[in-house]
Order: sequence, then structure tokens, then C-alpha cells
Amino acid sequence: MSLPAILMKRGLLFSVFWYLAAGYSLAAEISTQSVQIKIETILASDQSDEFDSRLAPLQRQLKVMKYRSYRLLKEESQTVPWQGSAAFEIPGGRSLAVTPQEFRDKRLALKVGLQQGEKPLLDTTIRMNNGGNFLLGGPPHEGGALVISIWATAQ
Amino acid sequence: MTDCEQIRESLGTWLDGELGRFEAEAVRSHVEKCPHCGEEKRQLERLQVALRSVLEVEASRMAFAPFWNGVQCRIAAKRSWFEDLSDWLSSALTPPRLAWAVPAVIALVLGVWSLDSFFYSGRSGAQRNNFASVDSIDTYGRNVALLREDETKTTVIWLYQNQEGENESSGDTDEKRPSF
Repeated sequence: MSLPAILMKRGLLFSVFWYLAAGYSLAAEISTQSVQIKIETILASDQSDEFDSRLAPLQRQLKVMKYRSYRLLKEESQTVPWQGSAAFEIPGGRSLAVTPQEFRDKRLALKVGLQQGEKPLLDTTIRMNNGGNFLLGGPPHEGGALVISIWATAQ
Repeated sequence: MTDCEQIRESLGTWLDGELGRFEAEAVRSHVEKCPHCGEEKRQLERLQVALRSVLEVEASRMAFAPFWNGVQCRIAAKRSWFEDLSDWLSSALTPPRLAWAVPAVIALVLGVWSLDSFFYSGRSGAQRNNFASVDSIDTYGRNVALLREDETKTTVIWLYQNQEGENESSGDTDEKRPSF
């Protein structure tokens, strides 16, 4: 058999393998049952130069906000089914509700609501990479501002 | 095949000492009893002696020193990396191997690319494209800033307090300012 013929045959073989792998990957994306939501509540302030070592993985992201001090106040994870809602207590009488909505093109859609008591502060729908995070900040707390890092990973 | 035929086929191997213990014993006992095979054995021994003497005479006339010197020189000589590479390529890039290598490399590249994007998770994502996109946002009349920071690929939603002072009793006012 000539080289081009062998190449074509083996290329086809690998294509079949590839379609199977892609199908498996797509099926895995569709069949995720739940989403792990992790919330890290951080106090950012200018009252000291302390940087909480537990926040080291977030250091570069937090640096954007130009505060001098960052301290992890609370960390909580919940596993939520699709369309289910997870509620997280945030210091200062606030609460955060997170509802995973869909997983498409390797990105998760999350509905996020922040409330202070009964008063809504923010409602947003975010699309983010699986396993990624975004930061929600601004609510004042103990002479600084709260920064909430919201992570989501489909499982 | 008779016993004698089998024994004669094994005679040379036996005389060279290459038979196993039990086979060698079987050949020896047969040769001692069978005159035909005994004669065959003696002929082979004579032939070996004759060959050895001829070879020894011829070998003594040959000069082996230059041959061994040449071998040693070739072993000791350092080959350039280019020669090594050239030899490796000529042995590696034969058509059948090439036929496997091309689709394998394509599959490997595609595999690394897609698995990387599918399986990556966790905080190392902060170094990659971690941008989140905002489909909708309602801040109930408050000001909001949306920052997409390029260095860490981070999306930040910053919520400002309104003028009614809905913050805590500590009464911070500094948080009205954007910090980035």
C-alpha cells in the first residue's frame, strides 16, 4: 500500500476515535448533575497592611482593587442542582443567592442575587468558565468594603 | 524418523557441548551401543580436528592487529550530534512510521488543546481567560461599575452605596469611591 493510502486510512481511524472522544466530552458536559458553588467573603480595607495568607491564590486578582489589606472573613461551599438555589450568609446582615441556570459551550450561567435584609441590592446573570470565578465588591463593612469571590464548578 | 537418524542430527550439537544434560546423556549412551552412530561420531571428530588445524595455520598468517585497532578507533571516535540526528532520522522516518506519526501528532495536538480547555478548573484559571460576561444586571437604582481586568482576566462587579446611607451603623463613607 502506498504512503498516501496508508496515511488516509490511519487518518480516518484517528478521525473516528476523535469523534468518539468529542461525543464523550459533549455528553459529559450535558450530563453534569450539579454545580459546586464556593463563596469567599473578603474584607478589603486601608486600615493595615495585612494580607491574609489564605488568600494567596487570589492575590493577583485582589490587587486590582488597590486596597492595602485583605482578610478572609468567611469561606463556604455548597453543591447545588441545576435550577436549584443556594443561599449564603454574608457578614453585615446580607445574603447571597446563587442559582446555576445552564452549562453551554463550557460556560456556566449563574443567577446571583445580593440582599441586605429584605432589601435587594443586586440581581445579575453571569456567564463564566467552568471552574472560574468573578468578584463582587462594594458593600461597606467594618471600615472597609466586602469583596465576594464567587467560584462555580460543574460536577 | 528412526532413533539413529535423530541421534545423527544431534551429533554435531552434542560434540560442541550445546545439548542439555538429559539429551546429551541419551546421545552418549546410544553412540556407545550403536556401531553406525559411533562411526559417524568418529568421522565428525576427525573432521573437526582437521578443520581446527587448518584454521589455526591460516589464522597465524593473518594480521589481526590492524583490524582490532580499526574497531577500537571507531568505538572511541566521538560522533557529531548532526551524525547522530541524521542516523536517528533515517531510522525513524521510514514510511510506515511516518504514516502513524502524522495522524498521531494531529490527534495529540487536538487532544491537548481540547482536554486542556475541558478539564481545567480551579484557581489556576485566574491566569487563563477567566473573564465572566454579564448577561443582565439590576442594581435597584444604585451605581455599579463593571471592570474586566486584563492581567488576571478577572471580572469585577463593584456596587456603590446610594446616598440614603443604607450601610452599617459604622457609617463608612469611604466605600462610595471606586477603589480601582
